[in-house]
Amino acid sequence: MQVPTNTNKKRLIFVLFVITFVTLILILRLGYIQIAIGEELKKGALEQWTKGIEIKSKRGTIYDRNGKKLAISVSSYTVWASPADIKDPDNTAKLVAEVLDMDEELVYEKITKNTNVEKIKQWISNDEAKELRNLKLSGIQIVDDNKRYYPYEDFASYILGFTDIDNYGLYGIERTYDKYLSGTPGRWVVTEDARGRQMPYDGERVYDAQDGLNVVLTIDETIQHFAEKAATESLLTTKAKNVSVIVMEPNTGDILAMATLPQYNPNNPREPLDEELKRAWENLPQDELMGKWYDMWRNFAINDSYEPGSTFKLITAAAALEENVASMSSNFYCNGFIRDIPGGTLRCARWYNPHGAQSLKEGMANSCNVVFVDLGRRLGKDKFYKYIKAFGFGERTGIELPGEQTGIIPINTDIIKEINLATMSYGHGIAVTPIQLINAVSAIANGGKLMKPRLVSQLIDNDGNVVIENKPEVIRQVISKSTADAMLDMMESVVTDGTGTNAYVAGYRVAGKTGTAQKIIDGRYAPGKYIGSFVAVAPASDPKIAVLVVVDEPEGMYYGGSVAAPVAGRVIEETLSYLEVKPEFTEEEKEQFDYTVEVPNVMNMKLEEAGRILSELGFKYTTESFNIIENSLVIDQFPKPGTEVTRGSIIDLYLMEEDRKENKIHMPDLIGKSKEKVIQILDQLGLKYELIGEGIVVGQDPSPGTEVDVNYNIKVEFSDVKE
Amino acid sequence: MAKKVRKRACDFALLLTTLLLVFIGIIMVFSSSWPEGIRMNDGYYFLKKQIVSALVGLAGMLFFMNFDYRYIYRFSRLIYLLSVISGLLIFTPLGVVRKGARRWIDLGFTTFMPSDIIKLGSIIFLAAFLSKRKDVVKDLKKSTIPTIMIIGISCGLIYLQKDLGTTVTLGATLVSIFFVAGMKFSHLFFMIVGAALGLAAAIFTGDNEYRIRRLVAFMDPFADKTDSGWQAVQSLYALGSGGLFGLGLGKSRQKFFYIPEPYNDFIFAIIGEELGFLGTLTVILLFLILIWRGVRIALNTEDLFGCLLATGIIALIAVQSLIHIAVVTSSIPTTGIPLPLVSYGGTSLVLYMSSIGILLNISRHVKMDGS
Repeated sequence: MQVPTNTNKKRLIFVLFVITFVTLILILRLGYIQIAIGEELKKGALEQWTKGIEIKSKRGTIYDRNGKKLAISVSSYTVWASPADIKDPDNTAKLVAEVLDMDEELVYEKITKNTNVEKIKQWISNDEAKELRNLKLSGIQIVDDNKRYYPYEDFASYILGFTDIDNYGLYGIERTYDKYLSGTPGRWVVTEDARGRQMPYDGERVYDAQDGLNVVLTIDETIQHFAEKAATESLLTTKAKNVSVIVMEPNTGDILAMATLPQYNPNNPREPLDEELKRAWENLPQDELMGKWYDMWRNFAINDSYEPGSTFKLITAAAALEENVASMSSNFYCNGFIRDIPGGTLRCARWYNPHGAQSLKEGMANSCNVVFVDLGRRLGKDKFYKYIKAFGFGERTGIELPGEQTGIIPINTDIIKEINLATMSYGHGIAVTPIQLINAVSAIANGGKLMKPRLVSQLIDNDGNVVIENKPEVIRQVISKSTADAMLDMMESVVTDGTGTNAYVAGYRVAGKTGTAQKIIDGRYAPGKYIGSFVAVAPASDPKIAVLVVVDEPEGMYYGGSVAAPVAGRVIEETLSYLEVKPEFTEEEKEQFDYTVEVPNVMNMKLEEAGRILSELGFKYTTESFNIIENSLVIDQFPKPGTEVTRGSIIDLYLMEEDRKENKIHMPDLIGKSKEKVIQILDQLGLKYELIGEGIVVGQDPSPGTEVDVNYNIKVEFSDVKE
Repeated sequence: MAKKVRKRACDFALLLTTLLLVFIGIIMVFSSSWPEGIRMNDGYYFLKKQIVSALVGLAGMLFFMNFDYRYIYRFSRLIYLLSVISGLLIFTPLGVVRKGARRWIDLGFTTFMPSDIIKLGSIIFLAAFLSKRKDVVKDLKKSTIPTIMIIGISCGLIYLQKDLGTTVTLGATLVSIFFVAGMKFSHLFFMIVGAALGLAAAIFTGDNEYRIRRLVAFMDPFADKTDSGWQAVQSLYALGSGGLFGLGLGKSRQKFFYIPEPYNDFIFAIIGEELGFLGTLTVILLFLILIWRGVRIALNTEDLFGCLLATGIIALIAVQSLIHIAVVTSSIPTTGIPLPLVSYGGTSLVLYMSSIGILLNISRHVKMDGS
């Protein structure tokens, strides 16, 4: 037996040492993996164990002030794939592509992607979802989703805005209130093993989505309709580029309507409504198209500023009255020109036939530049500037819509030269946004308080509880109540005696101011391009609404008094009567026409008779039916009988459409006839039919001799019918 | 003298450590094989087989504990011959191909892996061979060349089974025996160089592209984590999610088919996931105790054959467990090596337990401290 030597033992100890050393290194390595970077690795592991599918939260509804739904979320479905679970990608791709009407290769690409989950198609129909579910494809999930829908289509689109495919708000209230509307998405989490089956631990966890809050607008759907209708009419008659109509409640700053036409349909925001434009855009390159889209989505009422022209004289006058540099009855003299300002001679709009001597009130009615230049100079640039700022010009009103502009006013009084002061007095050399102007005029209407324009009054949850309330907010008192009253008095004379007579509404006292200005494009006055505007407050005695109409680039006539004032008048009339503000007619107006006439009942009368009665009472009438004959029966009318309307109103009549006798035939007897014969007979009569079976006729519907409509689908059964 | 020595008790610490590791193995094999067992409609399938193997292994261990190892010395040539023949049987119709490799032999009533037998057989043979050449161990012709031939035949047989990991394990083990036996350092140097060149050839030549891919994946397993880096990444995920304390016994997620055969080549990763760093550290410490006890036996024996045999057995366990842990921790490129005494596998468990039995028997012949 050999005995181990010392060498053997030393080397053994050395081997033990090496082993221990390597072991220690591995222990360190293990500690590094399990403890130092363990969390990081765990994340990676968790990621592969869990498959999470987002559960979309339901986006909140946008209501008008009366609870009408302007934007809603409708249920829809989205198809997802978890590529790891798909057993037979070829077949799956084929079936999915078939059901969803997609490109098979595209589907294949998606379902074989190296990701946990991949969206295949968003917003599929109920039928498609059902069909796909029936296929029971592993790795294909159909998840409830919701899609934004605007039931009124192209309506208030600049206020509402729209969302992208992921329901993220891109424009309008959808954008500014996105974080409230969107809610919190939930998650459906499943832990799966490497073969795609659920693991025994954890189970599946569903984190419920939290629905978004609902937004209640200050907009009144009906008034918005009035505004849009009036703007559309104006757009058609003036061929303007844009027409903006804003209706505001002066006491609260609530925007009741804000229409800018033309608009787009938020259900399909990338397609213009105009057919011609749509065709023109079809062949545009993508970047140019994007530019067009952005232009289309611009809300003129807040995203653009314009030179206000004479409407700005209200600010000059209000400042002058407040500062006591003039009173309503102060006397002024217009000789057509102002020649004593260094830098140029200024003209009154009626320089060829000067206004001569006039009071401030008359000057307002005449919109005489000379008067306001005088006022501006009496105020001096510092005081005038103070009021321009105080009325909110040169800064955002804070309306809750994206992209509001500040307008352009001199950055400080130092740069205001005398000529600038003079032109600014009548609204030139300054730029405002429509929302700024109506907000300033609202301040005049409500007794001098500048309000923050309010577009959203409340955020409510699904049970109707108010979660967040936006209270009307007074920014500052700009002018005194007495100044404001004097202003309304003067503005009323604009409509009764001055440039704004087109805004006159019988029964309501309208106060207003016209404005016309040349457009500035690229820093230069653009020849032949004007903006006509009219700002109004009604009723002057107790203002309920302020209305601003801005007509951008009308063709032909462009004076605010001619293009904008009538639009304002229409909106005021309809809105006040909708708001049930009682009209107060002056004696003069009463004399002019016996204003209320009760609509007679003409229902169930022959058209001829109904027409005679209506004409006798001074009504006009329209019918929209075709095939009118004198004996057509009136089956409905609008307004309903007994309604009090203005004499001369139009009554819509709905007529019973008479059946044309020649559309009826008597059903021939087909029993016992051969198929060829039946076809021949029915074809001759020009009837539609369905033949069942072969052989000889044993049954027919309708039965012989019955009177049938030519459009009736006749069924003929033949002898060998099998049930 | 022999009579006196035989009366000694065996190394109790070694016995206990071994039984503990086997016990942990049974539990972990059960836990990690559950998903696969369920898929085969019997969650206990692997547990039952492992318990049977452990019982056979225990019998083997008890037998060899009481079987005078010096008889092994006498039969060393026969043992080696038989193990080489078993290795060659693979290439007869008895060989079974599983998972793309020809590594099993089907005897009808059971299958076994000849590589395990070759491992033990070659250790016994080399230990016996070198103990006879004590005085000429540094001689190139008389010792080194024959030793290289023995290593070459043994490792070559295993390499033919496309099992590079085991080849390396056995090679390192046999070189350790030669080293302890007293080989010349210059020879060691050339052998290491030769082994390195051989390894490089095994990886870069011939039809072994998968080895290159494993090497590339080892550099950055996350670069291709769904394919070539999959096993390494999944193993790291398992260890990482275990953290310090582990997810709890039986609560591994990675065993759910993320890690292939988690009860075998990656069992250490599942131990890490379920029992945390504390669990893996415990297992490593148990192996260290086992190795320390083994080295102590080798040191204390007065018989060179016993010393070299103990060295071989300990080196085999040490090298194989270190490679297993290194693979699981992505410290070396991925290769399939089970963890001795712990991983699932009948032949392996029975042979390791039997070889511990031999160690224990050697320990009974050891002159204990001071006596």
